[in-house]
Amino acid sequence: MDIELGPEDLAFREDVHEFFAENAYQAGEDYNVWRLEWFKKAAEKGGWDVPKWSKEFGGPGWTPTQHYIWEQETASATLPWDMPFGIGMVAPIIMAHGNEEQQKRFLPDIRARKVNWCQGYSEPGAGSDLAALKTKAVLSEDGTHYTVNGTKIWTTMAQIADWIFCLTRTDDSGIKQEGITFLLFPMKQEGIEVKPIITLGGAHSVNMVYFTDVSVPVENRIGEEGKGWTYAKGLLQHERTGLAGISRSIVALEKLKEQASSVKRGNGSLMDEPSFRAKVAELEIDLMASEYTELRSLASASAGSAPGPESSILKLKGTEIQQRIAKLTVEAGGIYSAAWGRGVGHKFAKAGMGGYLASRAFTIYGGASEVQKDVIAKNVLGLKRSTT
Amino acid sequence: MNFELTNEQQMLQDSVARFIHDNYDLESRAKSAASKSGFSQDHWQTMADLGWLGLGFDEADGGFGGGHVDIMLLMEQFGKGLVLEPLLASVILGGGALKRGACAELKTEILPGLIDGSRQLALAYAEEQAHFDLHDVITTARSKDDGFIINGHKSMVLHAGTADQIVVSARTSGGQIDENGISLFLIDADAEGVKRENFPTVDGLQACEITLKDVIVGSNRLLGELDHGFAILNSVATDAILALSAEAVGAMEILYKDTVEYTQQREQFDHPLADFQVLQHRMVEMFMEYEQCKSLLYRATMEAAQGSATTQRTAHALKHLVGKAGIFIAENAVQLHGGMGMTEELRIGHYLKRMIVIDAQFGNADYHLQKFAA
Repeated sequence: MDIELGPEDLAFREDVHEFFAENAYQAGEDYNVWRLEWFKKAAEKGGWDVPKWSKEFGGPGWTPTQHYIWEQETASATLPWDMPFGIGMVAPIIMAHGNEEQQKRFLPDIRARKVNWCQGYSEPGAGSDLAALKTKAVLSEDGTHYTVNGTKIWTTMAQIADWIFCLTRTDDSGIKQEGITFLLFPMKQEGIEVKPIITLGGAHSVNMVYFTDVSVPVENRIGEEGKGWTYAKGLLQHERTGLAGISRSIVALEKLKEQASSVKRGNGSLMDEPSFRAKVAELEIDLMASEYTELRSLASASAGSAPGPESSILKLKGTEIQQRIAKLTVEAGGIYSAAWGRGVGHKFAKAGMGGYLASRAFTIYGGASEVQKDVIAKNVLGLKRSTT
Repeated sequence: MNFELTNEQQMLQDSVARFIHDNYDLESRAKSAASKSGFSQDHWQTMADLGWLGLGFDEADGGFGGGHVDIMLLMEQFGKGLVLEPLLASVILGGGALKRGACAELKTEILPGLIDGSRQLALAYAEEQAHFDLHDVITTARSKDDGFIINGHKSMVLHAGTADQIVVSARTSGGQIDENGISLFLIDADAEGVKRENFPTVDGLQACEITLKDVIVGSNRLLGELDHGFAILNSVATDAILALSAEAVGAMEILYKDTVEYTQQREQFDHPLADFQVLQHRMVEMFMEYEQCKSLLYRATMEAAQGSATTQRTAHALKHLVGKAGIFIAENAVQLHGGMGMTEELRIGHYLKRMIVIDAQFGNADYHLQKFAA
């Protein structure tokens, strides 16, 4: 066992740190110009604009340790705004299961951030039980195109998306995980309607998406018909580890300490209150453990083995920690956390409440915590699925 | 030993429940919240006409002589509807300070209008540096001629934007955190030097930041004795804790019952969600927490009604439990409703927001645990 970073890793960290500092956004700059320029420069570093892509597709081909360092550094730097759906979600599936023509057709635009993607998975009747999805895709008799009908829900940023990657049902004769087909199609076309869903903070990021006789050329199908579930499942696991956000939480906890220190209590601050301090300490201890859980998970991936049992708890622990930090921020804001529409009192309080409300979704999306625990019970502990 | 309601109390409970049921669907509530005053003037008048605004006042003061139990029953039903009207701010806070501190003349001037709904009060007690301590007061009142001049800043004043008069706590002697030396004054909301900045709160209500600059108030507007306002303030705060806790208990009932109903309807993995044991146990925990809060609410309310010496300590216990359990129940209600619980369209999330605000008002769970343990 050895946790010391080698000289190469240390040099890499220095390099990343420098890159972020040199290319940081300067006040007054045109944001969009800066954003695209940033990605261009990151690409010149050897695929830093697509850190998770493999070398074969122009990614940096980092070791797990380098990924960890990157993640750590990004948590405290300001990176350009980026949506995960193209780069992080559909691209890996196209790389793994798409044909060469599809790879040539879609990957360059994704990498250039030219096309916004959204994810058409959940449906009103298929949430935690995603495989129960019913959106129907029927292949034409001449085999040239599918006709898609159905409804998707919780589709993040569908209102600005150019394309959707979508799980559809092409066969319902077998078990529900079979007969699911992975299709890509443009959002701006006849037969697609997007209806906003307003969430607790009043924000509009998720939507209902209705498909009425949407025509999708068969060339837009990824892989084989009926195998879509297998393709998507691999990605879900990937998505779940990414949702843990341990590095971000470490930075967030430091920020919480600063905020609580700015709240006066008597001669000291809220951070001097034993009960508040104890809650922050408990969080910090959980984070210290989670950080190493993540490292162990990376190390086993680095050794080329399948993710170990430790990786399965990362999404659960990580999202729970994010929620606890958000809740303590609201607590630190005191009565000012109730102020809405403008900041009153403690400067952080308004954002704190918004963050808290949004955080309640963390244990719901990407596999609700209850479902995650079922998966661990079955796959890790080897327990039989309970009758209900 | 008897937890049965009297006929009058039962009638009150039924009549409030009916009002909420008939008027307080989510859509109407949103409409009222978006109006200029932030609540429905019609509902406010109805509440006055039904005598609810006079429940906490003695008959000698023009009230209907109801007690703590009546207020509890009223507020519990209000909690079920997430009522927007400023009964807490005007009657329990502002009116509570008046009934305890005002001289007979001032009561005659103010209370009839308060009870018939034509006059609205607010209570400005909080200051930014004070966190939850009522006795941490920087705002000053300097004696001058036959009155006082008030200077300072009051924060998060519930429903001050629509109030006609505001009760203000100000320091007339002593240091920043001394309980002695705090005095209460009744000022006109539109008096010269009073600047109100109104804003919505996350739960759909409204509050103000108030700046007081050389505000002149006559000595006949002093509530209670000079320098001895803290005792009044503290006793008003205990009433507020009882009222808010009753409201929270009403909200908890909606949250756990809605969740039980939803999980029976929603099917995933070929079963209603309610079939899954892990969710059943969670709902049992929500239900247990609700019942425990209700018990402690009854205990605190009875003690207050009897004027028991332990009332304040029990109120600390109550506010702690309600804050903790209320958020536990609301967060789990959202979790068990899944994505739907995160939407503005369903009422669950609105109850979560109210629960968070209730915890932050008059001291959160942590604060009262410390007070209780002290």
